[in-house]
Amino acid sequence: MNRIVVTGIGVISAMGDSVAENRASLILGKCGISLLDMFPSKFSGSLPVAEVKKNNTALQEKLNAFEPGVTRTSLLALHAFEEAVANSGLSNNQLSDFNTALVSGNTVGGMCLTDEMYEDAKKETTGSEYIASYDYASVNMYLQQRYRLNGNINTINTACSSSANAIMYGARLIKSGRAQRAIVGGADSLAKFTINGFNALHILSPEICTPFDINRKGLNLGEGAAFLVLEKESDCPGKKIYATLSGYANTNDAYHASSLSDEGIGPFKAMQQALQSANLSASDIDFINAHGTGTENNDLVEGTAMLQLFKTVPPFASTKANTGHTLGAAGAIEAVYSILNLHHQELYPGINFKEPIPATGLVPVKTYQQKGLEHIMSNSFGFGGNCSTLIFSKP
Amino acid sequence: MFYIHQHSCISPQQTFPVSRIDELSDAVDKKLQVIEPSYEQIPPGMLRRMGKAVRIGVGAALPILKGLPAPDGIILGTANAGKEDCVKFLNQIIEYNEGMLTPLNFVQGTPNAIASQVGILTKNHGYNITHMHLGLAFEHVLTDADMQITENPSGLFLIGAVDDISVYNYYFEDKGGWYKKETVTGKQLYDSGTDGSVAGEAAAMFMVNGNRTGAAAKLIAINSLHHTDAEVMKKYLQQFIINHLPHGEKIDLLLSGENGDNRLRVFYDAAEEITGRETAIARFKHMSGEFPTATAMGLWLCCRFLQGDEIPGHMIKYSKPEKGLRNILIYNNYKGIQHSFILVAIP
Amino acid sequence: MDTATLKLQLKQQIVEFLNLLNVKPEDIKDDEPLFGEGLGLDSIDSIELIVLLNREYGIVIEDPKEGRKILVNVNTMVDYIEKHRTK
Repeated sequence: MNRIVVTGIGVISAMGDSVAENRASLILGKCGISLLDMFPSKFSGSLPVAEVKKNNTALQEKLNAFEPGVTRTSLLALHAFEEAVANSGLSNNQLSDFNTALVSGNTVGGMCLTDEMYEDAKKETTGSEYIASYDYASVNMYLQQRYRLNGNINTINTACSSSANAIMYGARLIKSGRAQRAIVGGADSLAKFTINGFNALHILSPEICTPFDINRKGLNLGEGAAFLVLEKESDCPGKKIYATLSGYANTNDAYHASSLSDEGIGPFKAMQQALQSANLSASDIDFINAHGTGTENNDLVEGTAMLQLFKTVPPFASTKANTGHTLGAAGAIEAVYSILNLHHQELYPGINFKEPIPATGLVPVKTYQQKGLEHIMSNSFGFGGNCSTLIFSKP
Repeated sequence: MFYIHQHSCISPQQTFPVSRIDELSDAVDKKLQVIEPSYEQIPPGMLRRMGKAVRIGVGAALPILKGLPAPDGIILGTANAGKEDCVKFLNQIIEYNEGMLTPLNFVQGTPNAIASQVGILTKNHGYNITHMHLGLAFEHVLTDADMQITENPSGLFLIGAVDDISVYNYYFEDKGGWYKKETVTGKQLYDSGTDGSVAGEAAAMFMVNGNRTGAAAKLIAINSLHHTDAEVMKKYLQQFIINHLPHGEKIDLLLSGENGDNRLRVFYDAAEEITGRETAIARFKHMSGEFPTATAMGLWLCCRFLQGDEIPGHMIKYSKPEKGLRNILIYNNYKGIQHSFILVAIP
Repeated sequence: MDTATLKLQLKQQIVEFLNLLNVKPEDIKDDEPLFGEGLGLDSIDSIELIVLLNREYGIVIEDPKEGRKILVNVNTMVDYIEKHRTK
C-alpha cells in the first residue's frame, strides 16, 4: 500500500511548547488566550490574543539559533520542525537527502518585524539585518540553510489555509515520486501587522472568542507552528505511524476577497471533494476539527455547509477557542490535533461555547471523551476564498 | 510532462497583446517596468482596488481564458505580489498609531489575491493556489501543474506567475545589494563585471493540459535545487539532461537567466559548459530585468520560439540555432542558491 | 459650510478614497444607494467610508452595523456629518 502516513509531529502554540504539552492542555480544556503582553502595541494589555509565552531571546537560547536576521516566525517554525524531525527519528543524512522535501506556509513571514520593516522600506535608511527576512519564503530558506536541505522546498500562501495546502502539496510530491518523505507544516507569529489588519476589518473579538456561539464577536489572533513528517507507508516498516493522510481537497469559494458566500460553496466543495479523495462517505467521519474562527460570517457559513453535506453532522469543535487563530499555522496545528484525536482515541472539550447559532442549531463537543475514532476531518478556510479540507485516518 | 496551449505575457517589452520583441525597450532609472495595457476585461469596480501585481496578473490571465472551458484549477506563483499593499498598510499602522485604519491594503496585501481575484472574476470553484518560494515560485507552479495533470489527465489549468516592482520592494532588494549601483543599458548588463542586476517585473500566463493537439509547446521536465556550490549544480544539471533526454539528443538552445550579476556568473558558466558548444545560447534578463519569477517570461519566450518566432538578435549570446528549433533548456539562478531547470520542446 | 458644498466635497472624497474609476463626483446622485444597486459598494467599502468619516470629519463609529444606517446615500451621510462632525 502506498498510503501517505504521518511518522512525526511537532507543535508549539499558546497551549504549550511540545506535542505532549499541547495534548495535556487540550485534555484540560485550557484556553491559551490572554491580553497582549509580548510586544509593545496600542493593544498591549487590552486585546485578547493567544501568545507563545517565550520571547525571542528565550527561543533563540533554547534552539541555539543566533543567525543574523532570524525572525520570530522562523524561530517558532524551527521549534516545531525540530520536534517533528526528532519524533520521526530522521537523521541529518536523511534531512539533507535529495528526496526529502520541505513545504510550509505562513501569512506573516518576517513582517512580524512591523517596525523594522517600516524603517527598511524608507529610501534613506541603509537596511537592517532583517532586509532579506521580510519575505514569506524566509522561514523555509532559514530551515534550508540551517539543515542543508537539498530536496524540493516550497512556500505556499493561500492565506489562512496555507499550511493545509502545504500538507497536501507534500503528500502529492511523495505520491508523484518527487520526494520520499516530506516535512510539511506552517508557522505564524503575532504581529502588529495582522492585529491591525484584522482590527481594521472589525473581525477581532474584544473578548475571548466563542466559536459557533450565537453571541460570538469575532476571532482572537494566535501564534505558533506545527510540522508533520509524511512518508509512504511502504517506506517505513516498523516505524511508529500516527495516522494516514487519507484525503484532501482545495477549492475556491469565488465570492469575495475577505468573506465567505452565504451558501458556503467553497467550504462545501472542499469537504465533499476531500471525502471523494479519501473514498469515504460523509457518515464515515467521526469528528470535524472545524475552521471555526468565531467570526459572524465563518461560523454561520461553515455550519451551513456542514448541514448541507452531512445527514447528521458528526461531533465537531474549533480548537481556535484554545489556540486563537494562528493564520498560516492553523491548518498544521489543527492537523496535529486531529492526529492526536486519532492516536489517543479521544476528543477534547470544546470551550467558550454557550448557545448555538439559531440558523444551524449546531452544538460543538463540550466534554472530554474517549471513543473509537476512525476518520477525522480538518477544515481551513482563508481570505480569497481559499478553502481546504484534510482527512486523517487511523492507520 | 504536459502541453502548453494559450499563453500571454505583460512585460517591459512589446509582448501584449501582440509580440514585437525585436524592438528592445530599455531600463529607465535602473528599472524595467511593464507596459500596461488598458484592462477592458476587468470590471472598473474591481480594477479600482487592484495594485499593479494584481492588475497585470489578472490582465494577462483573462484574455487566455476567453472562449475556453472553465479550467479545473488556477495555479500561480509570485514572490512580491502584495508587498506594495503590505507596506502601505504598515505605513498606516505607524502614521495613525494603530488607530482607525482602512482594511483594503491589508486585504489586497495577501499574496493569494491574484489567484483569488481570477477565481472570483471567472466564478471558478476549482483548485486554487499561490506558490511563493522566491526564485522557485514559478518552478513550483510548473511542478504542481505537472502533478495535477498526472492526477487528472483530462484536466485543464490556468498557470502563471507575476511579480512587480513596488517602491518598497525595490528598496529592500537594492539595500540587499541585488541591483547595480551604476546605470547600465540593454546588453551592457551582461558585460558590466559588477555585482547586482536591474529590477524587472512581468506577468506571464499559460493554459496547460495533457492534450498534444494544437499545443504550442511541451513541458518535458521541471526541477529545482537549493545549493551554493556550482559543482553540485553542474552534476545535478547533467543528471537532469540524461534523465529527460535519454537518447543523447542535443539541446538546441539554452535560455540562460544570466542577469549581469558577477557573483552568479560561475553558475551560468557551468550551465553553458554542460550544454556544450553544439547548443546555442540566448539571454532575456535585459528584456525582463531580474525578479523572482522571471522564468515565467522565459517560458513564454520559449513558447514563441518553438512556434516559429525568430529569436531576436539582441537575445543571442552564442550561435544562432538552426531552423527547426526542437527543444530549449531554461537554466536560472536566483541569488546564488535557488536553481531552476526547465526543459521544453515542440509538442 | 452649506449643505450643497458639503455634499459635493463628500462626493469628491468618496471617489478619491475608494478610487472609483469612471465615476465623476457630480454624477453621484444625492439619493443614489451606495451599496448593492447604485454605486455597488461592498462591506470593505463601508469600513473604508467609516474611516473616511473619521479622518475627514472626526466622527467615530465603533460598530460597522451602525455604519450601514448612516452609509445609505450621500443625503444620509451629510445629514449625519452635519450633526456629529468634530472637525
